[in-house]
Amino acid sequence: MLLHLGAVLLATESQTNTIWTRLTARSRLLCTLLIVFATALTPNGRWWTWAMYAIAIALLILISRVPLLPLLKRVAVELVFVSVVLIGTLFRQGGDVLFQWGWIQITTEGLTVLGSVTLKAFLSLLTVNVLILTTSITALLHALAELRTPPLLVAIFSSMYRYINVLVDEFNSMQRAARSRNLMSDPRRQRTVIGNMIGSLFIRTYERGDRVHQAMLARGYSGLPPVAKMPQPSRLDIALLTLTIVILLIGQAIYL
Amino acid sequence: MHHNPITIYNLSYRYTDGTQALNSISLSIRATERVALVGANGSGKSTLLMHFNGLISPQVGEVVVGELTVEPQNLKQIRNFVGLVFQNPDDQIFMPTVWEDVSFGLLNQGVRGEELEHRAAHALRSVELDPELFGSRNATGLSGGEKKRVAIAGVLAMQPQVLVLDEPSAQLDPRSRRRLIELLDSLPLTQLIATHDLDLALELCDRTIVLSEGEIVYDGNTHRVMSDPELLERHALESPLSYSRPYCQIEHSP
Repeated sequence: MLLHLGAVLLATESQTNTIWTRLTARSRLLCTLLIVFATALTPNGRWWTWAMYAIAIALLILISRVPLLPLLKRVAVELVFVSVVLIGTLFRQGGDVLFQWGWIQITTEGLTVLGSVTLKAFLSLLTVNVLILTTSITALLHALAELRTPPLLVAIFSSMYRYINVLVDEFNSMQRAARSRNLMSDPRRQRTVIGNMIGSLFIRTYERGDRVHQAMLARGYSGLPPVAKMPQPSRLDIALLTLTIVILLIGQAIYL
Repeated sequence: MHHNPITIYNLSYRYTDGTQALNSISLSIRATERVALVGANGSGKSTLLMHFNGLISPQVGEVVVGELTVEPQNLKQIRNFVGLVFQNPDDQIFMPTVWEDVSFGLLNQGVRGEELEHRAAHALRSVELDPELFGSRNATGLSGGEKKRVAIAGVLAMQPQVLVLDEPSAQLDPRSRRRLIELLDSLPLTQLIATHDLDLALELCDRTIVLSEGEIVYDGNTHRVMSDPELLERHALESPLSYSRPYCQIEHSP
């Protein structure tokens, strides 16, 4: 969901009619979650398991006919954020020392952890982005509700998606207002001004939240977001979910 | 149809910071009547409107909607009876798509399936928006006028008997404002319109209530109050443009 928010410009939701898009959003979300959890929970160094999962994800990309360029762009942007965490894993102690500079050591264990975590992050992000590029935010929200995600959390996600552009617009207006009074020309004051803007935006958001809640109450909201209808899973849904589970189990069985 | 869908007896309300927003208000709105509620900023208009829908509970006095008093146990029926359109549609359109937002109130009413589809589509059509064209659109990409229409459709879908609008013409360009006036004029509902736009009040409402510092200072014919610049000025209001121009004054004289 957050990936949807962070890459609004890259969101080119695919409307093609493929096996993947014929699945209910709930099944797509379930498949994605299963792959992500299986990938992330596999212990470090199990390269063959990930190789198998990578083939499965490649097949998923093929059958879903996701445009490759937006997919890779999104993953690249997201990996930049993940890399901050990844760098720390390189200096893990244990195994043979390959490089030493003062107290900084790069060991075989560090390289294994770095490689494993990078691969986990890459495969997980690929899978999640395939889901996002093929499923509308509305369908995703419904899928979350159907999968018994706490209703309040679904409502928060829904509001986040709805209001992120409103907040960005408000922030831009404040920035323009500041620029028009030459407040942004002094780099030393810039941080203070932006800090004040963020504070002001926080207060405005809080007040808007209050008004939105009143508008919801006015139309009969009683604490639970209503769901219109739940599509029934077809045989295709069951078949693809089963196939996903089988592939994931075989991947785990390689190292047994 | 209730003869007096909204009746208020001696309503007073004080905010926690000590501001007396309403002071001993009593009024009655008749069925299918269109009433303008005018007053300067801080005169208590919005506070009064929120009482009609039960968003604020009366501290002193009583608000009767239909046959029900505004009390926590009656809020569900009251909110189906009185539809409230907020000033800023961005506060009101909170669902990701237009269709979902218009369906929101219906789902809360327990309406599902074909009836939901029919009522949501009908509500959108009644504000001159094509459900096929606008249903799947994200609210972010709509113009101010379209947002206002979607906000009204979301309320109309619930089939209320009373429509309460807070500053409906705020932030609208002249053409959107004109279309909104035509739309409101075409709706066969009891309407209560809080507005600073006295020309809109003049055009739509036969009756006007002037609020000042939480009190009703005038309740009567719209033309009469609009042609009384002294009264309007005393309560920080101004005659509508169409009254301040001599050639229009002749046209509007009661």
